[in-house]
Amino acid sequence: MPITPMEVYKLLPKTNCKKCGEQTCMAFAFKVINREKQIEECSPLFEEKKYANQKEKLLELLEPLKEATETGLIVDEERCTGCANCIVVCPVHASEDPYGSGSGYGPKIEDPIYRLEDGVLKIINVKKCRRYGKNRILCVACRENCPSDAISFLEG
Amino acid sequence: MHVCTGCSCLCDDIDLKIENGRISRAYNACRRGAGIFLNISSSRAKPTIDGQQVDLERALQKAQEIIQDSENLAIYGLDTTTLEAQRLAIELAEKKEAFIDDNSTFCLGDFVEMILKKEIPSTTLEEVKNNAYVLFYWGTDPYHSLSRHLSKFTYYPRGGKRQRGYEEDRFLVVIDIRKTHTAKLAKKNARFLKAENDADIIRGFIDALEGRSPKIFQKEIPRILKEMEKGGFNVIFGGLGLKYGLGGDYALLKEMIERMNERSEVYFMPAGCHPNMRGFNELLFEKTGHVNRYSFREKRSSDDFAFHRLLKNDSADTALIIGSDPLNSLPLEYAGKLSEINTIVIDPRETFTGRVAKVTIPSALSGVESGGTMIGADGSRIELNPVFEAEINDEYILKKLLEVV
Repeated sequence: MPITPMEVYKLLPKTNCKKCGEQTCMAFAFKVINREKQIEECSPLFEEKKYANQKEKLLELLEPLKEATETGLIVDEERCTGCANCIVVCPVHASEDPYGSGSGYGPKIEDPIYRLEDGVLKIINVKKCRRYGKNRILCVACRENCPSDAISFLEG
Repeated sequence: MHVCTGCSCLCDDIDLKIENGRISRAYNACRRGAGIFLNISSSRAKPTIDGQQVDLERALQKAQEIIQDSENLAIYGLDTTTLEAQRLAIELAEKKEAFIDDNSTFCLGDFVEMILKKEIPSTTLEEVKNNAYVLFYWGTDPYHSLSRHLSKFTYYPRGGKRQRGYEEDRFLVVIDIRKTHTAKLAKKNARFLKAENDADIIRGFIDALEGRSPKIFQKEIPRILKEMEKGGFNVIFGGLGLKYGLGGDYALLKEMIERMNERSEVYFMPAGCHPNMRGFNELLFEKTGHVNRYSFREKRSSDDFAFHRLLKNDSADTALIIGSDPLNSLPLEYAGKLSEINTIVIDPRETFTGRVAKVTIPSALSGVESGGTMIGADGSRIELNPVFEAEINDEYILKKLLEVV
């Protein structure tokens, strides 16, 4: 399930103390979800006792962050039927592998983002994804074309 | 590269990793296809007579005896085997003056027949990939039945004249009784029509083509027709929902396609069938002019010769079932009778029908353990590239059975 910055913000101290280096708690919440900041950088949350309850809830909420890849992508293999819509629709595949996955066949390049293995979607090389790195684009082409919602992104 | 025989797509880009003589990984196949390759050793059939395991020679001999003694033989199944084996089965039926039928009777045989008789225009999936603009999925949910249909052949791939991807170069129309998984994909540049009655939607299209306002979907139908004119090359994929929705009367459908063709090219293709169902239909059509339900004794095709009707009317004394499990797929009141007559099952895997059969003969999995040719739903011939080569396959067994007639 996607996590929204608002959900994270609600459980933060909301004091805008700037100890984490961000101007506001909301900005910090955004960066936590994008994996640019770690939740441990919010020192009042961990040091002050009155936030203990919030801290536990927040750590539980952020548990899926550990499973997700660097781009926030989560693939639920249980739901995947291997239709390969996501593989063919991917704009990166279309430009780098036009005669393979861009034309509907299985990927012909060594390190595609996705590949079907044993009938379900496997993430091979997330670094190629347009969502990866500093100048990322929040592309959702694969998620939009998955009818069984097997693909999701952390930020929703 | 291997060919997957999971459905009528016959995907020919399957990569396999083989370790110690076993398939350990399947790449590019969908869930169903990968299951076939990865589970080749599970629930394999054994040669039996009356439920008791015997050696293969003994089972073959018993089957030969039963075939020899039979007076009204019915041959059924065949949709998962190769053209070569189907040809032998038709030869066997001809020599024994038997009934022959396959799953197309209740699957999409009617559509294939119309295409083979050239009553409606059809095309190949390669042409669809390179040219098609408006794609209708009518009464079919390819996301489940033909998983890679949209991604490999129709909506998503770029090819030929359609290089800009699905958002600009394709227009998807899904017509179904409920919002299926495929219908969920009909978002931008697409329409989903919820069908209460297929004939009413066809009439709506005919009305719009004649310049009248359609009675239903007043906005959607004219828009779709406009897109069809714009695209110039359009395809209707008809599934079982359309077949049963129309209840066997295809005059309206033919009229609609004819009318549509006056404005732009419109082709019809069956969607959702067994891997080599069209192969059987084509072979029987070449020989007899009919696609299924055929009696070589009476030299005609009739509803009475459909396999379930033969069982219901006790018209057959022996059933030879190749690569099908009627006890699983047909109503019990018909299929149950298979335990009363002499039933011979030729199948690579254990089946329910095999449990009640007089004789079972284990065979090879077409496409994985035996080669040959198959015809996909679009009519293109595809050569299989098996991983292993089993000596005992459908062809071998049918040749053995032919020896005694």
